Amino acid sequence: MASIPPKPENPLHLHTTKLTLGCPILDSFLGGGIPCGSITELVGESSAGKTQLCLQLLLSSLLPPSLGGLSSPSLYIYSEPPFPLRRLLRLSLPSLPPRPLDHIFVRPAHSADDLLSLLSHLPDSLPVRLIIIDSIAALFRSEFDNTPRDLKSRSSLFFKIATKLKDRARKLGAAVVVTNHVVDVVEAECGGARCLWSSGRRVVPALGLAWSHCVNTRVFLTRSEGMVRSSNGEECEVRTRRMHVVFSPCSPERSCEFAIVGHGVLGVG
Amino acid sequence: MEISCLPISASHRAKLLSAGYTTLSSLSSVSPPQLSHLNVALQEAVDILKVSSESCRVEVQDGAVEFCKGAQTAWDMLSEEQALRHISTGSGDLDSILGGGIHCKEVTEIGGVPGIGKTQLGIQLAINVQIPYDFGGLGGKAIYIDTEGSFMAERAYQIAEASILDTFDNFGCQLKEIPEKLKAESFLANIFYFRICSYTEQIALINYLDQFLVEHKDVKIVIIDSVTFHFRQDFDDLALRTRVLGGMSQKLMNLAKKFSLSVVLMNQVTTKFTEGSFHLTLALGDSWSHSCTNRVILYWNGNDRYAYLDKSPYLRPASVHFSVTGKGIRDATSQCKRVRMM
Repeated sequence: MASIPPKPENPLHLHTTKLTLGCPILDSFLGGGIPCGSITELVGESSAGKTQLCLQLLLSSLLPPSLGGLSSPSLYIYSEPPFPLRRLLRLSLPSLPPRPLDHIFVRPAHSADDLLSLLSHLPDSLPVRLIIIDSIAALFRSEFDNTPRDLKSRSSLFFKIATKLKDRARKLGAAVVVTNHVVDVVEAECGGARCLWSSGRRVVPALGLAWSHCVNTRVFLTRSEGMVRSSNGEECEVRTRRMHVVFSPCSPERSCEFAIVGHGVLGVG
Repeated sequence: MEISCLPISASHRAKLLSAGYTTLSSLSSVSPPQLSHLNVALQEAVDILKVSSESCRVEVQDGAVEFCKGAQTAWDMLSEEQALRHISTGSGDLDSILGGGIHCKEVTEIGGVPGIGKTQLGIQLAINVQIPYDFGGLGGKAIYIDTEGSFMAERAYQIAEASILDTFDNFGCQLKEIPEKLKAESFLANIFYFRICSYTEQIALINYLDQFLVEHKDVKIVIIDSVTFHFRQDFDDLALRTRVLGGMSQKLMNLAKKFSLSVVLMNQVTTKFTEGSFHLTLALGDSWSHSCTNRVILYWNGNDRYAYLDKSPYLRPASVHFSVTGKGIRDATSQCKRVRMM
């Protein structure tokens, strides 16, 4: 069987395009933005801001490259219906093209197999350059028991899904963003994953060690509450949101504070 | 000329013969560490090879037919000398537990959890192999096989710049004018980068490497990051997976020996249920653990990164604290770092 020998590439020509998060502080925190061609995972507990960030990315991908966008439509795959349309409508970014909602494709996924089949049947001609899966954890919640055999077949599904996503990311030059939930740490050992504190709980990303190997960048969103004495002597509650880079091919571990305001997610600092 | 005629001790001769070395030419591409596998002390192995190469030279005077046996081309001699050099990891402490660095003619496996620094180490090695011969490096090129998509050219550029500057610093050179070939751009251009998206592509590429390496004899390191990723999907037939992995590791070992280069394979970790509890272990199963000559495991100790030499033909297990910095892999800077011998 005659085949074309594989050709090496020259890293000098392998510039990684980055997608802006819509805020310069968050962009520089992530080394320029969300990288294209690999999978970025946003992990956090409920209401940490994962979906809000994803919706913001749906809009920023419509910006022209000069403003950090990809000038392309995006695909939003959601596993926890309904699609947050109202929250999307409240977001805004300067310099968006007219009728931005026309360029956002939305599709529900009901299970891991459904997602796999969806990804396999994406037409090559679909011009999306941002694929979001919100959330990956919900697809695996009910179907698998804690037996070694089920865990193995679940882990095999992770790699199949990750392979398809990375394949799409590479072929389309797309950014892939996946959101994940957290679980409380039960044992003394975190089992390889390093834990973070969120809302006073010690937590690790869901789906375990195997799934950690499937993503290229992991960003942890945490919340903490504390009491602060205000200028008139009253004690008031202050909620801090932080974004942590747990691992990334192009930026060191660090964290930065952010806030969710009416029209979007912004970095603080 | 036969081994039986070599002026070495009878027990050494017996060991060589029983391992299959019968003629002098079979010893011509063997390195002392390889001979030491036969239960021969390293210094004695060096002596044996010296005696054998001297005997080759003596033979040359016996006539034109004998001339070809044991003679080497100048390229081969340079390759052998290069092969005795090690590729620095960027961290002096890590190099020291590895016996100087990553060895040529051997396959080294590096395993660890995500984010520990496997890709960073891979990129560092792809850069450091290129440090010129005059500065203690191999002056070779690198093949980087990326199966996961974690290779970022911008990061490789950052590591290259820092490595070049540090090399010049170490040698006390004045940085008036850095020659073209020592700029970070050239270092990046000397990495042959392959992006692999399935296990069949991975096998096909490894099969193709033999031909590629014949055409690019200056490649001195092949890095596969990670060798595991495409093999963790369902192989309906596990025996097939074991066979495929076995064939792949055999090919890689042969490439390392034939072209006197080093092969570095990144591996993932998985949890294995043994003796009633879950343990972290390297992926790909028990049979894969025999496939590599050396094994290094990277792990977290609190917030510190450690490297543990788990398998080596002649070095003791030891662990050392290292760090991943903006410049790449470097020694840990904390005061309480120490090398622990096991």
